[in-house]
Amino acid sequence: MNCPDCKEKLDRFVDRELNSTEVLELELHLESCPDCSDQYEFQAHLKRLVKHSCDCDRAPAAFREKLRQILT
Amino acid sequence: MAESPAQTAFAEEALTHLDTLYRGALRLTRDPDQAQDLVQEAYLRALRYQHSYQAGTNMKAWLFAIMRNLFWDRFKGSRKEDVSLDDVGEFVLYDKLRDEGAKPEADVLDKLAASEVVEAVEKLPPLHREVVLLVDVEGFSYKDAAQALGVPIGTVMSRLHRARQQLQKGLYDYALESGIVRGSTRQVPQS
Repeated sequence: MNCPDCKEKLDRFVDRELNSTEVLELELHLESCPDCSDQYEFQAHLKRLVKHSCDCDRAPAAFREKLRQILT
Repeated sequence: MAESPAQTAFAEEALTHLDTLYRGALRLTRDPDQAQDLVQEAYLRALRYQHSYQAGTNMKAWLFAIMRNLFWDRFKGSRKEDVSLDDVGEFVLYDKLRDEGAKPEADVLDKLAASEVVEAVEKLPPLHREVVLLVDVEGFSYKDAAQALGVPIGTVMSRLHRARQQLQKGLYDYALESGIVRGSTRQVPQS
């Protein structure tokens, strides 16, 4: 695998959407390419940042209870 | 509302996905009251059409599909093609930061406040915002996101790619505004 191939597959690698053969090929490339490895770390970091920033909201307890009464 | 134990069980299972739906509604409407209205309407509709849910399939994706379809019908109008999906071009935050000498590049991400990240997500066009919510925030697979959005997997991938470029551009602008990065002063080499 070369750097353009790696770049093209990085989104799917970060999202765990590659098959096992592709994962292996990509991991081998990352081990030998500091630039692509840095870029992967950055993208994975960014994905974690978006998740942690956005997933802390919870439905208010009163709303949950209201829905439960309406639906059950 | 539920008229049988089976309906009650269905409603209880559906309510285990409430936080995901609420978060999605909150990010789509950007208003807590509208989010609650949207989620309540989605649950009522889900209960009404529970016969169309196939047991063993992804209930979270099915519920999200109901909620986002209501969002498009009631809050945004149903003509999704009218909603701008402006492209920012090929914007890669990593490359931008590297060119500006920020090292390590990920340190810049750590300096951004969560509220700035949420704001950048909420500034995405809704068609892009919803795919980021599903894949990045809620951890949906491309296949489940495609089911929830009613589009092919290829569309999920292309929207996600463009959404992430827009998001990175938005985060870069925040980093510039708040002085985390100073902006490029480097001249483009002449060939």
